[in-house]
Formats: sequence, structure tokens, C-alpha cells
Amino acid sequence: MAVSNPGAMFIAGGTDLVPNLKRRQFDVTTLISLAGLPESRRIDGDPASGMTIGAGATLDELAHHRALAGAHRALAQACGLVSTPQIRYMGTLGGNLLVDPRCNYYNQTYSWRKAVGFCLKKDGDICLVARSSPRCWAVSSSDSAPVALALMAEVTLKGVQGERRIPAASLYKDDGIDYTTKRPDEIITAIDLPRATGKMTSAYWKLRRRPAFDFPILGVAVAISWDNGSVREVRGALGAVGSHPVDITPLLEPLIGKRTDDALIAEVADAADKPARPLDNTDLSHYWRKRMTRVYIERTIRDAVGLDPTAGRLSAQVKGSRT
Amino acid sequence: MPKSDSRTVNWLRITSCGLEDCINKVVEGSRFLERRTSMPRGRGLGFAVSSYLSGAGTAIYWNDMPHSEVQLKLDRNGGVALLCGAIDIGQGSDHILAAIVAEVLGLRLEDIQLTTADTDLTPIDLGSYSSRVTFMAGNAAKSAAEKVRERLFDVTAKALDCQVDELVARDRRIYRRQRPNDGMSFAQAVQLAESGDGVVTGNGSYTPPKLAGPYKGSGVGPSPAYSYSAAVVEVDVDIKTGEVRVPEVWIGHDIGRSINPMLVIGQVEGSVYMALGEALMEEQTFRLGVHKFPSLLEYKSPTALETPVMHTYLIETIDREGPFGAKEAGQGPLLPVIPAVANAIYNAVGVRIDEIPITPDKVLKAMNDKGKRVGPKAVPPFEFPPLINADVPEEWKGK
Repeated sequence: MAVSNPGAMFIAGGTDLVPNLKRRQFDVTTLISLAGLPESRRIDGDPASGMTIGAGATLDELAHHRALAGAHRALAQACGLVSTPQIRYMGTLGGNLLVDPRCNYYNQTYSWRKAVGFCLKKDGDICLVARSSPRCWAVSSSDSAPVALALMAEVTLKGVQGERRIPAASLYKDDGIDYTTKRPDEIITAIDLPRATGKMTSAYWKLRRRPAFDFPILGVAVAISWDNGSVREVRGALGAVGSHPVDITPLLEPLIGKRTDDALIAEVADAADKPARPLDNTDLSHYWRKRMTRVYIERTIRDAVGLDPTAGRLSAQVKGSRT
Repeated sequence: MPKSDSRTVNWLRITSCGLEDCINKVVEGSRFLERRTSMPRGRGLGFAVSSYLSGAGTAIYWNDMPHSEVQLKLDRNGGVALLCGAIDIGQGSDHILAAIVAEVLGLRLEDIQLTTADTDLTPIDLGSYSSRVTFMAGNAAKSAAEKVRERLFDVTAKALDCQVDELVARDRRIYRRQRPNDGMSFAQAVQLAESGDGVVTGNGSYTPPKLAGPYKGSGVGPSPAYSYSAAVVEVDVDIKTGEVRVPEVWIGHDIGRSINPMLVIGQVEGSVYMALGEALMEEQTFRLGVHKFPSLLEYKSPTALETPVMHTYLIETIDREGPFGAKEAGQGPLLPVIPAVANAIYNAVGVRIDEIPITPDKVLKAMNDKGKRVGPKAVPPFEFPPLINADVPEEWKGK
């Protein structure tokens, strides 16, 4: 159907797609529902043997799923932090991984965009965030994407040319318009989380204006595998600091082989915000978002290693006062 | 502290002032004095007070006609049709009109049928703005109901062979206060009056007294009565991100008299909520010639989850100018909350944010600023016109 209807789009939960249609960000003649696909909502396996999650599993199911309470907790945290309960009941993991990158020059009504002058991403020919830029800087605004990178998830895509399975990182391209390697005729059918060997912990922290609901203006995902109390392997990724989820795994390497403590975590976090280059196209100031990156990396690592997240050196917060 | 029955130095007439009670309530409720100095860094309490007018004394339409008008028409079953131009925008003014008429005539709320804000049918009311509807339309409704009651009492007194001042209207009856069995139903009284002089109607209107002081510009500010509010706000500031959360608010409001406490508390809590949006999030700012936050997606305001626990104290001062002593609750309670948030942030982390919204980046910037301040550095330059000399009220002479 997608092949015979050029410009057709797939719809699962529709929580990202429908508002974008309303604002004329997408011109679509045909919507193809994924609701009837068999096994699309399955959540199989456990951390010890690896997990397979259907792309149609809802964010709410994942936020509360028992198998995601341990090693893969970051995914449950991320899904539970997406928007509001209503959206989480409808929204799916596949849809959240593919959230259309956002920009506050782009996610606006047609009349507003017309008034300000259309942008590169839709109907125009310049980027309003960086006028001399040849590319689009819309922001990857998925909460689950950085977690998928940190957990080394693999994504199964199915299209007319068959099925392929790729690492989550390979699903994304650093471009606000052409942001995914998924072909238009392909759909995500499943997300596989590799089995956790030995003890593994993970965490996701999200920065936004209101705790109730808002898109991320920064997301940090960290996953750690342990060997007798020392870090054997650590992976991390940032969300909402660029047009794709940004892998910060190499910058977390100083943790490997060590027992984590306040000082080490602060030192690592202090250096790990380098790839974050937020621009002035989301809520709140981009200078502040950049500054918050190291604070949130520290809090996320501390959460992942089981320390009080806000007690660290970069983020010493008054005890017990966060709600 | 303004005193009841006084004038301010610029001639504003104060009929009642419960500010002191408001302050005492919020200070005691929040344990402000002990906790303010004993909270850990990052947590703080702030305090502020305010006053607001119960409707502008000077009409936006420059003429001598009433600001509010109410017509009543009684039917033979004892029902009352009330017509008024005031519009209920969710604040509950319909209820207030009905409650006032029901109180005066000894009826129940369901006996009053309202037709409001229909320009084909209703007499003029200047509108739901300026915190004026309960006060002005309420006074007009009370006056209309009293006129109707006078006519009903006249015919009832004649029928019962007693004096008018012996009568009361209660429980859908009109009867002698000292001999409650000696009376008739409200509907019977209407029928009696209608049999005599025809259809029973009553008009009431309210025009604020002329209160402006003897100087140019004194027309701005006078109101027939002023409400007073005091607030204590507690904040929790994340000292590494500058994010501000408000877990709890205590607010005292001098309402004069709360005709319906639930409505008043709703208005006060709504004000607190709106003030927090104004203090922490909402911003009218433009980029490339268009509004930067054109929809509620970007124009953030608190949700139910960000809304704090609120403790509301209603102070009654029974204002002599207001209907049954009532004053406004529409806008006044918003005012102390914003400066109280700023003061609480100062108490929590020692910085002054001199502009709203107080966003986390500003708090963080101020914490790293030598002067511990963010905001405009000075009042914008302005050339004032020559001063005018004005007389002060008698009580201020020589002070």
C-alpha cells in the first residue's frame, strides 16, 4: 500500500502524527493503520534471556511492565515520562522512536509558519534557527531513542524488500528532515533488547519545563554492566541536543573497571557534555540547556549506580526536596 | 496599615480593611517567622501583601449613568425573573445575583430565574472586568429586591393589620417577626399586590459614589471599596539547575463578606494558580515579528501537577458599601503571590530576580552574578511632567 500510494504514512498511536497533520506539517493523502498487525503489541522475554517488544506496545504498558523493572529500567522510565497518561495509552514504542524531530519554528500552525516565513523543513528554503545553515536543525525529541542506544537495542524493519535488523543507532541520521534510515515502505515491527550478562542497571533522566508533561529539552540515558561491584561496560546517549540521539559512550569510558564514587562520577559527567550542542529552537534558553547537560549526566549516572541522584558534586541539591 | 473608615494620602476612601487579619493568618499558618530562618539552602518562604479595587469608581464609559442595573419581575406562583446585563464568565456571578435576591425576599435559589447578558432583554451592566460584578451588580440586585419587598410588605401589612416594620420575608413566607403564624405565603403576597396595582416589578441600579480627590489624575484609583490580600509562598529551588517548584501557598483574603465561600475560595485559588503561571512561566515575547509562543503548547502555564497545596483564609470585614458587606475576589488575590514567589526565592538561594517570568536560567545566572540579581538595572528613563500641588485629606495634614 505504501508503495502504491506515494506520500502515504503509517499510523499507529497517531499522537505525534495527528497534531502534525492538523498543523499541515505533513501533506498526506493516505494513512495506513498498523493497528491490525499480529504480535505488534507483544512484550516477550526477560532481562536474562533478552527481550522482544512489538513496535505497537504502548508507552503506558512499557512504563509499568514488570520485566522492565530491573536491568532495562531506563526504558520504562523513558516511556513513563512521555507526555500525559492519555498520550501514553495511545502512543507506541515504534512511534516514539520515530517522533518527527521538533523545532519551535516548525511545530506551528500553517498560518504562523506562513507569517514568519516557511522553513527548510516544510514549504521553505532556509533554516530559521541558523540562517546560513544548509541543513535542518530540528531536534530529536524522542525519550525512548537515547535509551534504545544505551541499551544496545536492535530494531527490526520490514518492507517490500524484506526484513532487516539494525542497531538502534543506525536507525537515525543527523538531519532534522531526513532523520531516519527507515525507508518509506518500511515499518518497525519489533525492538530487541539484548540479554543482560551479569548485573546490569540503567537510568533515564529528562529535562523539561513542567514535571506534568512536555517534550524533552534534554534526555540522558545510561546503562551499566557490572563485574563484582566494578563497571564492566557503560553506555550512554543524549536526547534532544541535536537532530539525532547522540552516543556519549566513549566519554563514559573512564568509569570502566572502577568502583563508582561521587568524585569519579562528577569528573566523568563534567567532560561528557561535549557533544551536546543545543540551539535556540526549543523551550527555555539553549545556554541553560547546555549547562544542564553535565548536571543531568551526573544525576543519571548516579541514578544508574544506585546513589542519590541529586546529591552529587555537580548537582548537590537539598535532600529530599524534589517532588 | 490602612484603617477602616479612612482616606489614604491620595484621597482613596477606605471603607474596610482586614489586611492585618490576612497577614496574621498566613504568617501563623505557614509558621513564617520560625521557618523562614531555619530552612535548608534551596528552600525558602516569601511574603507579600496587596490591595485591589472592587470595581473602578470611574466608569470606562464617560457618563453619569449607573454602572449596573437589575430588573425583577415577580410571577403569581412566587417566582422571580431577574434580568441583568452582567455575564458569568465562570466566576459565579449568576449565583451571587440569585443568592442576593433570594436572601432579600426570603426565597430559595431555585425560585429565581436568571436572564443575563442578553442585550435584547437585559438592562446595562458594564461587564465582567475590574473585579466589579458581585459588588456593583450585586448592589443593583439588592436594591431591586428591596423595592419589590417594600411593595409586598405594604400589601401584607394592610392585610394582616400590622406595621410594615414588624414583617420579615423568610422560607417563602412573609410574616410578623414576633408572631410567625401571622402571615402568608410569598406567592399569596405577590397575588395580593398584583390584584391591587398590577404586575409586580422592581428596578435597581448602582452608581459608585464620586470619590476622586481634588487633583488632576485622581480619577484613576478610586473604588467604592478595596479588598486586601496577604500571601506566604514556599519554594523549592534546585540550586544546580535553578528550577523553582512551589509546594505550598498560604493566602489570606479580605472579602468583606463571602456570600458563597466555595465560590470565593475557588476565585482565590484560581488567582494563586494564575499568579504562579505569571511568576514562573508565562511570557509575551516576539521573534521575527511574530509571537514566540503562539499556542498553549509553548505558552506554558502550570498544570494540576504543578499546582501547590493551598491554604485559603477568608477574612470578613462586612464592608458598608458592598452588598451584604461583600468585596471583590476576582483579581486581588493574584497580586501578593508573584512578589511572594520572588521573595521566597531570595530566602531560598539569596538572589533577586527583578523580572517575570522567573525561569531557571535567570535563577542560575543570578546565583553566579556578583550582585546576585537579574533583571532591569534601572527604571527606564522618563521625563516627568511638572509636579502639581494637591491638597491632602484632613487626617494627613501636617504629617
